[in-house]
Amino acid sequence: MESITIESLFIEQTKYTPSISLDVEKQHFQIIGKSYPENTFVFYSETMAWLERYFTQSLDGKTVIDFEIIYFNSSSSKLFFDLLDLLEEASKQHQVEINWIYDEENETALEAGEDFKEDFESLVFNLVEK
Amino acid sequence: MNLNELHNVVKRDGIIFLSYGGFLSQSLIAAMTENLEREAVDNDLGMRLSNNIFIIFIELSQNMMKYTDEHKNISPLSESLILVGKDDQENYFVTSRNIVLNEHVADLNERLAELQSLDEGSIKKRYREMRRKVRETGGSGAGIGFYEVAKCAQEIEYEIIELDENTSYFIFRVMVGAKS
Repeated sequence: MESITIESLFIEQTKYTPSISLDVEKQHFQIIGKSYPENTFVFYSETMAWLERYFTQSLDGKTVIDFEIIYFNSSSSKLFFDLLDLLEEASKQHQVEINWIYDEENETALEAGEDFKEDFESLVFNLVEK
Repeated sequence: MNLNELHNVVKRDGIIFLSYGGFLSQSLIAAMTENLEREAVDNDLGMRLSNNIFIIFIELSQNMMKYTDEHKNISPLSESLILVGKDDQENYFVTSRNIVLNEHVADLNERLAELQSLDEGSIKKRYREMRRKVRETGGSGAGIGFYEVAKCAQEIEYEIIELDENTSYFIFRVMVGAKS
């Protein structure tokens, strides 16, 4: 694979969008907060493009992706599906591990995680209670 | 709606936590959601009921905002109305009213009648099927959005009242449930 330089990316949290942290050195990706952007696909396009580029590299060891979403609207739900689809593709060549982190009282978030886990059977997908 | 009518709505429907009529924007929706979050904590609603209220409120508001934006040349499309409250049986509800074009009424009727005919398990199943199949089409997003609302709701009711040859009121009433 050709060698490319990818810089870490950090997007700060707002009232309706999560914080997004893509750490190249630690091979750690975090998405934390609420998600109901006005235009979900525009908001996440940078992150999606970044991840696609990131996985074109040759990587040592695993990449960990933490989702810690309190609640989200339907277009974010579709977007997360696409994101997990991308990660499932990437997992054919790289070691990828997903942590779906939820508050013990947040059954809605747990159920959302269970559904995604079922939809992406080939992914290493951990449901992690906070 | 004049103040008397608003007063009647409040009397009929119990306690209103939030009501807004007018033009919706994303920052306004976010501010109102924050306000609902505070109400939910103050009333000790628990996370499931709270999240269901927030999601239904967000879906309906964003849906109205996008619809209005896409059809802004037709007046008075900015007349959106949304209420969040609790009825005399302690059931939380979200009600929205907006103006839709008559050419969209048949489609709306069809989708909502289908939704009303499904039980909880079938709604969840259809939602996941749609999420798998539907890639971004650039449309209003109303497709999966209504399923999201139904998934979070106990019951949905709707009414379409013709205003004139071009437009109708679309009234959507979603029962979310009671505090457990």
